[in-house]
Amino acid sequence: MSLTRWKQRRSLALWVSAILLAVSAPDVLGQTNAYLDFDGLTAELRAVTSASNSASLSSIGTTLGGRDIWLVEIANPSGGPTSERPALLVVGNLEGDHLVGSSHALEIVRHLLSGSADARSVLDDQVVYVLPRLNPDAAEVMFSAVRSGQAGNSRPFDDDNDGRVDEDGPEDLNGDGAITVMRVPDSRGAYMIDPDETRLMKQADAKKGETGAFTLYWEGVDSDDDGFIAEDWPGGVDINRNFQHDYPYYGHLAGPHMTSEAESRALMDFMISHRNIGAILAFGQSDNLVTPPNSSGALADESVLDLGQFASASNGDLFDVGVFSRSGGGGFGFGGFGGGGGLRGAQPGRDNDPNSGRRPATSVDKADLEYFTAVSDAYKEITGIERVGVNRKAEGAFFQYGYFQFGVPSFSTQGWALPEPDSTDASSGDESTDARVLKGLEGAGIDAFAPWTSFSHPDLGDVEIGGFLPYVTENPPASDLSDLGRRHGEFVVRLAGMLPRVRFVETEVTAHGGGVFTVEAEIENAGYFPTSLEHGVVSRAVQPTTVQIQVDPADVISGGTKTMQIRQLAGSGTRERFTWVIRGRSGATVEIRARAQKGGTDSVTITLR
Amino acid sequence: MKTRQTGAPALRLVVAGFAFFALFLPAPVPAQQATGVGSDPEHTLPLTWDRWLDHAEIGQRMQLMERTWPEFLSLQSLGDSYGGREMWLMTINNPETGPELSKAGMFIEANVHGNEIQGAEVSLYTIWYLMENYGRIDEITRLVDERVFYVLPSVNPDGRDYFLHGAGSGARTGHIPVDSDGDGLMDEDGPDDLNGNGVIEQIRKHVPGQGNLRISQEDPRVLEPVGIGETGDWIILGSEGVDNDGDGRVNEDPIGGYDPNRNYASDWQPNYIQGGSMDYPFQLPEARAINDFLMTRPNIAGFQSFHNSGGMILRGPGMAWYGDYPAQDVGVYDELGETGERMLPYYNYLVIWRGLYTVHGGSIDWTNDGLGIVSFSNELWNGGQYFGSPLLQEQQTNAEGPISGRQGTLFFDDFLEFGDEYVEWAPFDHPDFGPVEMGGYKKLQGRVNPRFMSMELFHRNMAFTLYHADEMPKPRIGETSVEAVGGGVYRVRVDFVNDKVIPTITVKGQQNHVVRPDLITVQGAEVIAAGWVPNKHRPGPTDMIDQEQLGRIMVRSGLAGHETRTLEYLIRGSGSVTVRYDAVKGGVAETTIQLR
Repeated sequence: MSLTRWKQRRSLALWVSAILLAVSAPDVLGQTNAYLDFDGLTAELRAVTSASNSASLSSIGTTLGGRDIWLVEIANPSGGPTSERPALLVVGNLEGDHLVGSSHALEIVRHLLSGSADARSVLDDQVVYVLPRLNPDAAEVMFSAVRSGQAGNSRPFDDDNDGRVDEDGPEDLNGDGAITVMRVPDSRGAYMIDPDETRLMKQADAKKGETGAFTLYWEGVDSDDDGFIAEDWPGGVDINRNFQHDYPYYGHLAGPHMTSEAESRALMDFMISHRNIGAILAFGQSDNLVTPPNSSGALADESVLDLGQFASASNGDLFDVGVFSRSGGGGFGFGGFGGGGGLRGAQPGRDNDPNSGRRPATSVDKADLEYFTAVSDAYKEITGIERVGVNRKAEGAFFQYGYFQFGVPSFSTQGWALPEPDSTDASSGDESTDARVLKGLEGAGIDAFAPWTSFSHPDLGDVEIGGFLPYVTENPPASDLSDLGRRHGEFVVRLAGMLPRVRFVETEVTAHGGGVFTVEAEIENAGYFPTSLEHGVVSRAVQPTTVQIQVDPADVISGGTKTMQIRQLAGSGTRERFTWVIRGRSGATVEIRARAQKGGTDSVTITLR
Repeated sequence: MKTRQTGAPALRLVVAGFAFFALFLPAPVPAQQATGVGSDPEHTLPLTWDRWLDHAEIGQRMQLMERTWPEFLSLQSLGDSYGGREMWLMTINNPETGPELSKAGMFIEANVHGNEIQGAEVSLYTIWYLMENYGRIDEITRLVDERVFYVLPSVNPDGRDYFLHGAGSGARTGHIPVDSDGDGLMDEDGPDDLNGNGVIEQIRKHVPGQGNLRISQEDPRVLEPVGIGETGDWIILGSEGVDNDGDGRVNEDPIGGYDPNRNYASDWQPNYIQGGSMDYPFQLPEARAINDFLMTRPNIAGFQSFHNSGGMILRGPGMAWYGDYPAQDVGVYDELGETGERMLPYYNYLVIWRGLYTVHGGSIDWTNDGLGIVSFSNELWNGGQYFGSPLLQEQQTNAEGPISGRQGTLFFDDFLEFGDEYVEWAPFDHPDFGPVEMGGYKKLQGRVNPRFMSMELFHRNMAFTLYHADEMPKPRIGETSVEAVGGGVYRVRVDFVNDKVIPTITVKGQQNHVVRPDLITVQGAEVIAAGWVPNKHRPGPTDMIDQEQLGRIMVRSGLAGHETRTLEYLIRGSGSVTVRYDAVKGGVAETTIQLR
């Protein structure tokens, strides 16, 4: 098929899509029953927030595609300043193809504004920040004529570093509106048809007497005649690969460097101007809620679909083309220069120890593990989600930043469960992720797989096109959204209730005569989380809890200093007592203030007598 | 006039007198041959180099230079610093020899730490020297014609002015407010010049029999630690200041409080691993402005960031965990660095983590790893230069002598700087500490070279960056040959040569895919096959190039330093073909070959 024909089909499909969108206009009062494009989501957010005096809508930044990154701030306006209240942050759709996250975020907003008693109690004392769609440019691809599952934003990026940008994306050759994969008979191919499920492919294992017979590609042609197919897609950078913890340097979709994108910088600027954020819930393709960190603090292993990996492998040697060994004569070849072999750039005997220096934490601190387990239990109980489909390695993911660098309890979930396969269908223990996901989805009646169909390819000859449909393995059916969203709303209420809340519970004044008094004050953390996780202390990301007596420092004559700090105060009603011996005038009043960065502020006034 | 000098001796004297006056008439004397009353040429722009300039003066001097040499210089600001000061950048380019991007670029920056001031003057001196000597010194003329220079004298103008205008303490940082003591307030308790003498001094308190310091027998200005088991009469209470915020602590949250050179995107680490790194890479407006600029200038192949002090020619990596650079890149750095050691007495060529300390997220790690630029950072000024002869350095090792240790520094100040850098201890009644004494060195002592030693420091360091710039890649076409093999097919061989030390693409740049591959294109004929010739003097097979488009061969590994590669084409055509080697870093070399 020629490219021209493909373009004609796309324009036809665009019409169909436009008609569908017009029919499914946003239902302002109702609940989500469809995935929403940017305009649809914007309209919903406007409608929901304008109907409430506890919610406000603003934009924290604009994408390259000119779309706003919406923020909904939800709190009861009568009360202390929201910037001092304990805060929960909810973020969705960091990965461009994970739209369920923005759908859940919207439902969470609705739930919090529903007026239920438990939701109201959260909003009185706390604030919830919701960023429903961090990667709106990529999300829009789900609503385009060709659904490619594009995860990266709209930044032009030379993925294959050949001096040409975004020049060889996938093409919908068979005109079914979806980018799937191509399998091509190839006697030198590495893959074979999986005998257990003949729609799936597996790597041939010569040791088992298996012979490869196919090579797989992403659906498309070699647009730039470089011998590779679909090696430089439109866009960009996957925002959930662009953050600072375990960043995949120079990796696919990771961008030129950490926080390189308008979207990630907007989120970072929001974080550092809202240090009252005490917990994070991010929707994404990595999980630490269904499976909390294990006893070593590690996340569950990744499980990704082989089919896509096999197709990507056709471009695996992209960066080897054009790498030539050095010429024989001259140059900096081995031994070609200096030849001494001695260490230059050194001071023998005075060098620093290469093993010295602290390294960043890469696993959850053991002292923090139980909090993750408890939240996981609550999540599973409330949402009923116990089974995860695909689970991506969390390199550069935002929620990892949230714990490892921002220092707060930080969670990520796909936001839905892979349906259980029919119980009568006994599955073997070693089945592939592909088989497990396919069985689960199809068992629930979800159309997840485009059957292989023959196609005459301009470069490759006779091929078959088929495979997992984009978005289907990452997102639940639209009909499940409203129920799933409501349950996530309930979970958010529970999670917000766990935030630390520091308040004065007791004071005592003892007069010693001569204007000398002992003042004692006791604070309590009424929340569940400590004022700082252990890693918050270790990483110095969370400020100590501060208690300060409002007198001249010179009048504090013994005991504590005017300002006293404790690194953390556990939750569930744990208390801490502070004592000062001060000089003062009998009958005078003295204010004592407490401030926990993640646990709010409080003050109490005592009288010296 | 010269013809008239052939007259009689008496007449010659008269003529000489006339010639003397004629020198003051502008017309007859070409500018570059102008000579003063002595033998040395007058400067086009006479500037002095013996005082430190603040931000406004740097801007004025750069504007003046741009006005003086408008055909080569263009001044721009990369944006404002946090405090609203321009980030002045001078581009030196001769448009007659091609646009900026067609030539390898050398980026020179300085003063990222506000107190490390002298690199700005080295940078200004470099612009000035290149311009003054263009057309006068052949090597300088060639450099300016072949290369582009980008010169940013002060990365941290807020810190610079804070250092120069204020008392000088705590000027390393940039000026974004940071809550250094975790009390929710920012920058609320810094040092204070209590006695109003313009210096942040040290505070010492006399505590007879209870201290850990005593006054030296040799020099009463020197406080020295007492031996183990002994007690002294003095303690140090820190820098001059009071408890500004009434929290019972002194000087615990001064201005800023971060390290502007830990905010770059290679091996960036959070604060608890790398103090002062801020929250994310390129969060700082200054670092971000520089990186945004670097991203638009892929021709930049050399980078120098001037710091102080210690006398070092530093290269990355800043830390050891990920191992050293690839061997071929190390070879490049070694040759440049060791030549630098011979140009800069008292300077050592060192790897940052190995010879200095571990640095995460430093600028030259990013330019090397993320942009494929061969990068150095010179630590300007070495204390060994105070007494710069073998004889005096021998004397310094005598602990009893007058120039050893702390006494040596005071000796230098007494005899060479006439006491300009030291404030005598004097009593002071401190609001928090009671009766104390305050005194000590002024801000310029120690890390900044004495002014009278500036010229040599500026020139030698400039010379090293010019050498670095000259060794940036510059592909050229070497020998070519054509041989008809029949049927309208020709065997064409072309040598591609890089005479310089630095490759067109470093191995690190290739591994990280951050430099566009070099492209070898053929126009005017059809390429049937292409392959590298391992040794053109020895018959044998070629290494066939397995690429789809042989008219546009991609060379990800670039052209190494000191390398000649021979490419053999089988070409079908007639007339002439043009073969072109195009490197982002180093420019284009092209040849036209007649097929016959």
